[in-house]
Amino acid sequence: MTDQTKPILSVRDLHTWFSVDAKEVFAKRALLKAVDGVSFDIKRGETFGLVGESGCGKTTVGRTVVRLYRPHSGQIFFDGVDISKLEGRALMTYRRRMQMIFQDPYASLDPRMTVEDIIAEPLKLQGVKKLERRLRVRELIGRVGLKADHLNRYPHEFSGGQRQRIGIARALATKPDFIVCDEPISALDVSIQAQVINMLEEMQEEMGIAFLFISHDLSMVSHISHRVGVMYLGHLVEMADMRELYEHHLHPYTTALMSAVPIADPDKAAATKRIVLQGDVPTPINPPSGCPFRTRCSHCTERCASEMPKMKEVSPGHFLACHVMENA
Amino acid sequence: MALLEVENLTTTFRIGVGRVQAVRGISFHVDEGEFLGIVGESGSGKSVTMLSVMNLLPDYATIKADAIRFNGVEMTKLRGKELRAMHGKEISMIFQDPMTSLNPLFTVEQQLIEPLKIHLGMKKAEARAKALELLRQVEIPAPEERLKQYPHELSGGMRQRVMIAMAVACNPKMIIADEPTTALDVTIQAQILELLEGLKRNSGASVVMITHDLGVIASMCSRIIVMYGGTICEEGSARDIFYAPRHPYTWGLLNSVPKISTGEHKKLVPIPGTPPDMLKPPAGCPFAPRCRYCMRVCTTVAPPLLQCGEGHRAACHLMHPNAPKIQREDA
Repeated sequence: MTDQTKPILSVRDLHTWFSVDAKEVFAKRALLKAVDGVSFDIKRGETFGLVGESGCGKTTVGRTVVRLYRPHSGQIFFDGVDISKLEGRALMTYRRRMQMIFQDPYASLDPRMTVEDIIAEPLKLQGVKKLERRLRVRELIGRVGLKADHLNRYPHEFSGGQRQRIGIARALATKPDFIVCDEPISALDVSIQAQVINMLEEMQEEMGIAFLFISHDLSMVSHISHRVGVMYLGHLVEMADMRELYEHHLHPYTTALMSAVPIADPDKAAATKRIVLQGDVPTPINPPSGCPFRTRCSHCTERCASEMPKMKEVSPGHFLACHVMENA
Repeated sequence: MALLEVENLTTTFRIGVGRVQAVRGISFHVDEGEFLGIVGESGSGKSVTMLSVMNLLPDYATIKADAIRFNGVEMTKLRGKELRAMHGKEISMIFQDPMTSLNPLFTVEQQLIEPLKIHLGMKKAEARAKALELLRQVEIPAPEERLKQYPHELSGGMRQRVMIAMAVACNPKMIIADEPTTALDVTIQAQILELLEGLKRNSGASVVMITHDLGVIASMCSRIIVMYGGTICEEGSARDIFYAPRHPYTWGLLNSVPKISTGEHKKLVPIPGTPPDMLKPPAGCPFAPRCRYCMRVCTTVAPPLLQCGEGHRAACHLMHPNAPKIQREDA
């Protein structure tokens, strides 16, 4: 019996680097530090939200923890076992327990496979017998609100929301303990987003699955997550319980991000002042020295340029990486 | 005063398997100097409506309207040259994806001075000076260098700023912004929205903003049109739509978005089902198959847009005096 209080996933000082083509022909290949020292835990049955803008490395974190990418350094403990260096068969046994739901329901389903084959594929890879597979697929398709006669169809016959349901059924097939949801609702319409979010919440309540929920949509992340981490340029800059983060966010980037989310309420929108950050996110190939956010930060001091702020626990469960606000 | 008046606009697309009825007989107006929001899901006809007004649709589209009057001019009668004289000068457009709407083969300068030369008859040197001024106006850093760059050298936010600079170049009376911030990150979106607000204040142009994002609409628009299934289902001031909506679809939309501000966890109330197939739209109210308050009449007779307040209209049979009295359930 496994210890229920221990985190299902524990990431320690994770670095994922990519080597990218240099701008000039004879120049050395450049290093893109997509994830540069990220640590966090996800408890069983918990939803950990990861927010940030495009290019901040949130998707890379998600893909690295399920080992679609090989980390440069750092540890990924899945249920107590470091999987960061496992390969082949040894990794396969863990793959069953962690699954992924992708952003684009058009690109993530093979157009030449029927829905039945798509959902059954992970089971097949785990060596489940044919009859058992058929039963399990029929059970799953009902769970995600589709009908058994949809099973012989192909992905193109479905709408975006229905495809995302197929993707969810596929992810649930192997009864995983942990699912990475990488922007699962960004491609969907507002009314369909709510359907998918509610479905994910129900699945979690029933099966106790832990989610890593990656999104740029802070309002959806705050809706579904128990805890949230805010990423900027490959670093986690703040991490806390959702409520705590909403009420007592400290990092200037979190503050700007919170204020930038448009509120669907004209009076409240008029009452809140948007904090508009100047400029764009710097390139992760040549990040600023010290604090990655300092080029857009209004609180920037000299120390921020020379020294990278470390994650510190400012109150129980609330972590912050900022020289200025940690003393405030 | 109304700057744009559209009466009974119908747009259909002929495609292999039949006719897509994208817009089905809608009438609306845009007032001078107002910030109008058109909100709806994909396929609701919101973009096609404005593209029909601009006559920017492909050949297989059929646009029919009793009238499309812009500033007193009947747009449906305009052809080729007359229409082109209007595009970019009187009405301009900002598109969702600045990567595909800017020409990758021309520099920012070449693209910016084109409307200035064509519409305002500027000489090259004069146009270049104006282009520089426009880039400053949209707060692009180092504008001299940007002029020489190609679109691919700019970030998404920068490209959208260039699009906006092009749109305001000839001081148009109306700017149509079709999902101008959908492709952008939230902090960049905040920059662009701030910029649009500023430009609107200074120029006095009307802005029609097409979006699916209720948050963007709430913070920007004074008047809102809600579209569903190629029809207008509700129209009113921002306060009407957000605080006193009358159409069950508007209720559904508002209940589907999480409220970050409350901090407590409330379950979202999704709208069941999927939007209608516009090849065979439902006979009655387009929302009837997904509506929990659907009555028998809803499936056969399309509800008319009925007045329910000053400038507030909704198309729902529930507003009939004999219909059951249903209040919006608070999510």
